[in-house]
Amino acid sequence: MAEALAPGRPERDFNPWPAVIVICLVCLAVLFLAPTLGVLLSSVKTTREISFGQLWTIPDTLFLGNFAEVITNPAVHRYILNTLLVTLPATAASIALGVFAGYVFSKLPFRGSDVLFLVLVSGMFFPPQVILIPLFRLFNTLDLIDTLWPIIIVHTALGIPICTLLMRNFFATVPNALREAAILEGANEWQVLTRVALPLSLPAIAVLATLQFTWIWNDFLWPLIFTNSDEKRTIMIGIVNLKGQYSVAWGVQGALSLIASIPTLIVFLFFQRYFIKGMTMGAVKG
Amino acid sequence: MADLRLENVSKRFGDVQVINGVDFEAVHGEFIVFVGPSGCGKSTLLRLITGLEEASSGRVLIGGEDMTGLKPSKRGVAMVFQSYALFPHLTVEDNIGFGLRLAKLPKAEIAERVGEAARILQIEDLLDRKPRQLSGGQRQRVAIGRSIIRDPKVFLFDEPLSNLDAALRVQMRLEIARLHKRLGATMVYVTHDQTEAMTLADRIVVINQGRIEQVGSPIDLYDHPANRFVAGFIGSPAMNFIEVTEQDRRDGISLAAGSLRIELSGRRAAGVAAIGIRPEHAELAGPEDGDFLATIEIVEKLGAESLVHLQHDASDVPLTMRTSPDRRLRAGETVHVRLNKERLHSFGGDGNILNPA
Repeated sequence: MAEALAPGRPERDFNPWPAVIVICLVCLAVLFLAPTLGVLLSSVKTTREISFGQLWTIPDTLFLGNFAEVITNPAVHRYILNTLLVTLPATAASIALGVFAGYVFSKLPFRGSDVLFLVLVSGMFFPPQVILIPLFRLFNTLDLIDTLWPIIIVHTALGIPICTLLMRNFFATVPNALREAAILEGANEWQVLTRVALPLSLPAIAVLATLQFTWIWNDFLWPLIFTNSDEKRTIMIGIVNLKGQYSVAWGVQGALSLIASIPTLIVFLFFQRYFIKGMTMGAVKG
Repeated sequence: MADLRLENVSKRFGDVQVINGVDFEAVHGEFIVFVGPSGCGKSTLLRLITGLEEASSGRVLIGGEDMTGLKPSKRGVAMVFQSYALFPHLTVEDNIGFGLRLAKLPKAEIAERVGEAARILQIEDLLDRKPRQLSGGQRQRVAIGRSIIRDPKVFLFDEPLSNLDAALRVQMRLEIARLHKRLGATMVYVTHDQTEAMTLADRIVVINQGRIEQVGSPIDLYDHPANRFVAGFIGSPAMNFIEVTEQDRRDGISLAAGSLRIELSGRRAAGVAAIGIRPEHAELAGPEDGDFLATIEIVEKLGAESLVHLQHDASDVPLTMRTSPDRRLRAGETVHVRLNKERLHSFGGDGNILNPA
């Protein structure tokens, strides 16, 4: 007997890939969030609770003493100030230099500019370990060790290649006709850059600002190499320095870690709208 | 006095000669159209006038003054770009007033002049919008507004209508013609669209491979092309060319191609290598007075007229004939065709015209 096909939706083959991808993403998210959760849990526990190995348990009472200790500690204020004094100028300087260099490479090319661009960008591929000792000796000769200057200078220099690369590629998407129209209207190159190219490049600058700020703020290596005294330490070194006389102050360190991550979070949230704008630019016909 | 004068202007990019010793002048109020195939150098010539490109040699004079080497903004020219080149982050008002703001003019004066330009172009209600909120035609108007506000000696248009759809292109073409009439300014317009060239121009400059092939009024170029390039480039559909061999006769010359014979009495042999005939100068004829027999390949019915593509033994290239739509013609039909001998163009082996019709 012939079977009649039941009316309704045709059966589709089961596609396992979306489920596999979701499972992978969830695993990755757990992997990334677990340490943060651990830090968060330890920051609201007493040292005694942590010492008993109850790191992953939910505390019975919320202990905010660690945060109070961190906030009232003058050393922490100094760490935060030092980190700001390094991060803000180094971020601003590396982006500014990247903007200038990127504009020239993109809009005002000259003989040999392609080679120079490659040389500049190749700076990204030097591991810090290679340049660590020469830089230490250089700044030691200049008597700048245990000041913030070497950290600012090194972060600015290390940021230039990525800033130049990104800005050059972004400026390349700004039509040349806009520059020419502005020049015909009487603009000089500085005015073309500041009044036309830069306002159109806010998404790229937002990406760079977030990346540079986060990278410099969170850096541990260069402040460790170039500073000795507690007065010149930045926040990441400060977290390590916060330990008790006989034991590691896990709770206090956890609290400072969370406080230390707030500025980068603020920077990201502030520039987030430009991120979205940057991602959707050119997606639809204007 | 000439508003614009080019003296032996050349431009070279590395080893490539893009513009070859161009001499040209436009008098005040003229509408000049540079026309030519893609890559012929017409846009480069425009950029040399603006100063966005520096000439390798020669001089550019605007309003009688030598502008060679001067900054673009000092030349007294304004340009409308193919892409409009509106600043996307600025409003229409700020786009139009951009140059005046840079010149640090008083705000009241800027507002007044922007308002005047907007009134001329009927975009007063768009002043607060950003370019992305405008249609193609509106963007075009804003771009024109940005150029007229500067009150330049010479307006330059670089294929300004090529991004618009067909209907809007016709409308904007008319608006540009009206604007020219209203402002009475010298305008130089670059296009590869010969309909734009024919309808807008007081004079057309036909450019090929960086050289000026011919300068003249649209009808002059259409009726009296200087060479085969101009003859083929001006006019749509293009002029038909038939390669011929020439025989000297006692009472004139005879031109032959396949079974086609054209007797030209009273003319002396002059080395005719090809003849050219416009589609409207070929017509259907009877067996007695036809010049040759042809087979209809395709009939394109355009409403007001029909274009008939004919295969014949005089040339490998089909011959195009313009006919009345009333004639019922079918592909595959064999017809007799007569050429209007008075309107034949004869070209020598070098492509130059021999005896203008």
